[in-house]
Amino acid sequence: MISSRNLRFSYSPQKKFSFPDIQCGNKETLLILGQSGRGKTTLLHLLALLLKPESGEVRIADKSSNALSQEELTSLRARNIGIIYQRPHFVSALSVLDNLLLPNFLVNQKQDKVKAVQLAEQLGFTEHLSKKTHQLSQGEQQRVSIARSLMNNPNVILADEPTSNLDDVNCQKVIQLLKAQSASIGASLVVVTHDQRLKDEFSNQVIL
Amino acid sequence: MNLLKISLANLKEKKLNSFLSALLLTLGIGMISLLLLLNKQLDEQFRKNIKGIDMVVGAKGSPLQLILSSIYQIDAPTGNVPLAEVNALRRNPFVKTVIPLSMGDNFQGFRIVGTTPKYIEHFGAKLAQGQVYNASLEVTIGNKVARMTNLKVGDQFSSAHGLDQAGEKHGEKKYKVTGIFSPNGSVVDQLILTRLSSVWDIHEHAEEHSKGSSEKSHEEHHKPLPGQAEPEPDEENKQVTSALVQFRNPMGLLTIPRQINDNTSMQAALPSIEISRLFSLLGVGIETLRALAMIIIGIAGVSVFVSLYNSLKERKYEMALMLSMGATRTRLFLMLLIEGLLLAVVGYFAGILLSRVGLSLFSSAAEQDFHYSLKGFGLLKEEVFLFFGALFIGAVAAALPSLGIYRLNISRTLAEE
Repeated sequence: MISSRNLRFSYSPQKKFSFPDIQCGNKETLLILGQSGRGKTTLLHLLALLLKPESGEVRIADKSSNALSQEELTSLRARNIGIIYQRPHFVSALSVLDNLLLPNFLVNQKQDKVKAVQLAEQLGFTEHLSKKTHQLSQGEQQRVSIARSLMNNPNVILADEPTSNLDDVNCQKVIQLLKAQSASIGASLVVVTHDQRLKDEFSNQVIL
Repeated sequence: MNLLKISLANLKEKKLNSFLSALLLTLGIGMISLLLLLNKQLDEQFRKNIKGIDMVVGAKGSPLQLILSSIYQIDAPTGNVPLAEVNALRRNPFVKTVIPLSMGDNFQGFRIVGTTPKYIEHFGAKLAQGQVYNASLEVTIGNKVARMTNLKVGDQFSSAHGLDQAGEKHGEKKYKVTGIFSPNGSVVDQLILTRLSSVWDIHEHAEEHSKGSSEKSHEEHHKPLPGQAEPEPDEENKQVTSALVQFRNPMGLLTIPRQINDNTSMQAALPSIEISRLFSLLGVGIETLRALAMIIIGIAGVSVFVSLYNSLKERKYEMALMLSMGATRTRLFLMLLIEGLLLAVVGYFAGILLSRVGLSLFSSAAEQDFHYSLKGFGLLKEEVFLFFGALFIGAVAAALPSLGIYRLNISRTLAEE
């Protein structure tokens, strides 16, 4: 579960953002819609604890992030938030499987190969596990990054424009997978996008 | 998965860059290591054979040539000197031993040296088979000679005149092998040792043949050989090539060489001085090569630096990604450091291997030309230091660009792409 109150952020005195409060419980979904330049990515980075807000508060799994040190923030993020970026990025030297195991390794958890293979089966890229990521198509890469975001059983899944580079068929597929996967682990799913195709898929919406 | 695996994967991803960095390190390390090996080998070979020889006397000419020909058996002799003058040295109270040498013939490129039993004693040669030569035209051969020529005890052979195989054959008289020395690492390994009188006999006979018949030499030929009874022959009108001299005390060093140079037809050469001179001549070349190797290692360091710097720029997003997934900056720094260290380790071992290959090539060339072989492929103490030097260069070259990890702005990097 994730919530925010009175979030404000400024890159410079001219470029200030203040964001509406959001609230997304476990197993719930939330769509944040906004045109470019409205601070969508900034909001996502604030929610993902990658940026520190000027004022306001982000709560994740009932924990306020305000009082935490940099290391505690990193650890909170790594264990509780799965992030899916607009363009899927990977460690290019590693295979798909190793990229999936990377989140486990980086938070010093057991590297769960069984889970990785299971996710690959559910998301339909089992045959690509030993390939390098750049050998996969955009849609396949996006599915791998969804799998990666689930590896640590996060409490919250944040997706930044997960569908904007995909065609209609893949768009549908990806969004259904996201919803199904987050529901199955009981996580909150927050999608930030300008993609109008997703409007009808989410009942909870915030417009920036 | 672990850091090492990620580092290795990153190096494999940039095969050519990694190869170039490792190759440069290999060349630099290989050159330095080869120089160290050669230096040690040459030093050992030269010092070992020089031990206990304070002075060499021989015909006037280049003192270095005299030393090289008489001690190391690698250059042509300077000429002949009367045996009487050499033997006169024995009367000097400062002189402990005088070992006359007589050379001029070879068998398949191995020199036949006429000398006294003191020579064998001096180099500490021990017999492996048979016995030491006793009569004229009997020889005892060094271990390498036996191996290369397949001569066995009891075999007979005729020598060739001069110091290379192309010389005219002395076909009329044959040497007989009575013994073989065990290998002892000194110059004896590559020599065929015999009595002084053998060399005279062979040549008198040859002269006799070419001149027709000379009564005088004929007479001498039939005289009983005094050397046979006496271990250190003293014959008038005979000549030897040179003599190795050992002093009783260092005072000899101050007076005798000058006496010889001023008052006799001979010259005196001091091995320690000549070899130091030779090494200082070689030293310039060695220093130049060493500087060149250092420069190559420096370039290798720069190459590691540049390739890691570039790959870090390309992998900035990956780094931000890993940081967002919970990696600490120190961990990523360590990962990059391991990449540099891996290159250094690979370069080091390839370099050490290369230097051994180089040494064995050099050795076979030296063996062919001088019958000297270079051994000792073990790791030198200096090479252990070289290992830490290589690690240091790899670490520094990797650490400098990798410090950028600590300044990376995760949010901005992730948002930019």
